Amino acid sequence: MFSDILFLSSSSLIIASCVLMMWTKNLMHSCVYLLGVLIGIAGLYLTLGADFVAATQVMVYVGGVVILMLFAVMLTGGKDFQSRSQKILGLLPLMGSKYTFMWGSATAMVFGFCQIYFFRHLFFELKVQETTSNQYAPTIEKIGELLITDHVVAFEISSVLLLGALVGAAIIARPRKERPAFLEPDHHDDHGEDHH
Amino acid sequence: MENTIAGYFLKFEPLKYLVTNSSAWLGFDTTVLIGFIIFLTFGIVFLGFLATVGGFGTIAERKISADLQARIGPNRVGPYGAFQLIADGIKMLSKEDIMPRDADKFLYYLAPFLSLFGVVCTIAVVPFSENFIMADLNVGVFYALAISSLVGVGIFLGGYASNSKWSLLGGMRGASQIISYEIPVTLCIMMIVLLAGGLSFGAIIDEQAGMPWNWYIFHNPFTFIGFFIFFVSALAETNRAPFDLPEAESELVSGYHTEYTGIRFGLFALAEYIEIFVVNGVAVSLFLGGYHLPFSFLEGTIPGNLLQFGTFFIKTCVLYYVVIWIRWTFPRLRVDQLMSICWKYLTPIAIFNLVGVAIWIVCFDGQSMFNLLFTGASHSGGGH
Repeated sequence: MFSDILFLSSSSLIIASCVLMMWTKNLMHSCVYLLGVLIGIAGLYLTLGADFVAATQVMVYVGGVVILMLFAVMLTGGKDFQSRSQKILGLLPLMGSKYTFMWGSATAMVFGFCQIYFFRHLFFELKVQETTSNQYAPTIEKIGELLITDHVVAFEISSVLLLGALVGAAIIARPRKERPAFLEPDHHDDHGEDHH
Repeated sequence: MENTIAGYFLKFEPLKYLVTNSSAWLGFDTTVLIGFIIFLTFGIVFLGFLATVGGFGTIAERKISADLQARIGPNRVGPYGAFQLIADGIKMLSKEDIMPRDADKFLYYLAPFLSLFGVVCTIAVVPFSENFIMADLNVGVFYALAISSLVGVGIFLGGYASNSKWSLLGGMRGASQIISYEIPVTLCIMMIVLLAGGLSFGAIIDEQAGMPWNWYIFHNPFTFIGFFIFFVSALAETNRAPFDLPEAESELVSGYHTEYTGIRFGLFALAEYIEIFVVNGVAVSLFLGGYHLPFSFLEGTIPGNLLQFGTFFIKTCVLYYVVIWIRWTFPRLRVDQLMSICWKYLTPIAIFNLVGVAIWIVCFDGQSMFNLLFTGASHSGGGH
């Protein structure tokens, strides 16, 4: 009963936030609705008994990604964004012109058909699994063991990737050490250029 | 479920009787339903308790600051001004709720609630006593870290939505500060998680049962340093002085809540004072032995639980006093100093501590310093 309530509330939160996210013309509001979607997805993970994944979802997306998105939208002045098409298409939940809408729906249809084609076996052989009392057993020990045994290569590769991203971000954000031209002695100009 | 407050109260006879009777009456097992009702009741009780703690936090701050500055402080409402919080609350509720004309209405209304929500959700996993805990999650510590990041979103949105330069600067400072100082906090918590071998608050506290030298702060030199790093970073995460740049009143008027009036400002203030309590509670649970008394007395009964709760509360209040003391003693940092302290000092030291604790666990088999010095001498003789 409890997991049913959790599932229903999470999924309705996700659907409502999704619709509002696509409908609103204000990018900041869109980001905040995205927050609702991500928290709802964490709730869905909880219904599946994946407590660690749910906490990670909140940690990474709410604590990191959404704040970064809010920063990015704010710094680029996204709040004044208005839909270009003001007629019938202006009422539709889309951000763009009718061409983006056409291409988007065509792509979505193609992808949808591909997915249904590839996963057609699953649809017919899908069985509802019996819920056991073991459903809410702690998962973190298993995750930790698997990460450093079976999936150690993937784990290490992703950590190297993250380290690379970290170093790259630090290099991009590094202040340029350019001194004003009048402070540089003339005969040192070439030498200074080499450093950059 | 066993250790949490709902499971604990379900063990008592009257409630067992209620469960069996209502199950027979309604035709299904009502254990979950009754448990949920108990949970809800105590959720409301905890909320009321937290709001009171937040209210008394404001008055404690005013009295202690007055004490430190050789003033008297508020002393008109009730004995020693103790009912000042009620007067403040009535004032805030009855004040006009002003919204700037160009503010982003939706976000402006949402922001204080997000802040308070993030703080209050954290308390669900902090154990007040052996059985007075809302949810003993297996990933409790991680959950607390995750959900408390909502506070940063609330502060940032509050600053943005007010559509004022001061608010915006305060909000941006707040968000960047909270994101930055999450890293040393997380590293210090990881240190404790390594020692305890679990992410659940219950497991971490049970490892520290007994005398004060079993506390994790005295476990080894690295955790001793780690506690202070955790405490300093927690000060920064709660936007307290000397890290109160988001609301620096000499530069930004009042920071992210400049435009807020009445109870919306009150929610921000309440969130701040509750957050100090929650963060100190986490510090007590992780480093200072949590609710454990040095002796086992009436364990499992309600008076025993209340005694443990008192222990926890006193430890937390001592830290609360230190937080206020620090605020009225140290000058505020500059933004660049704030960032350099976080990234150049606290984070490297925290990483060093983490590695040090890992090495300690390998070298000394996870024994504490006290064990090695006094009781462990005879035990380790066989190992070498």
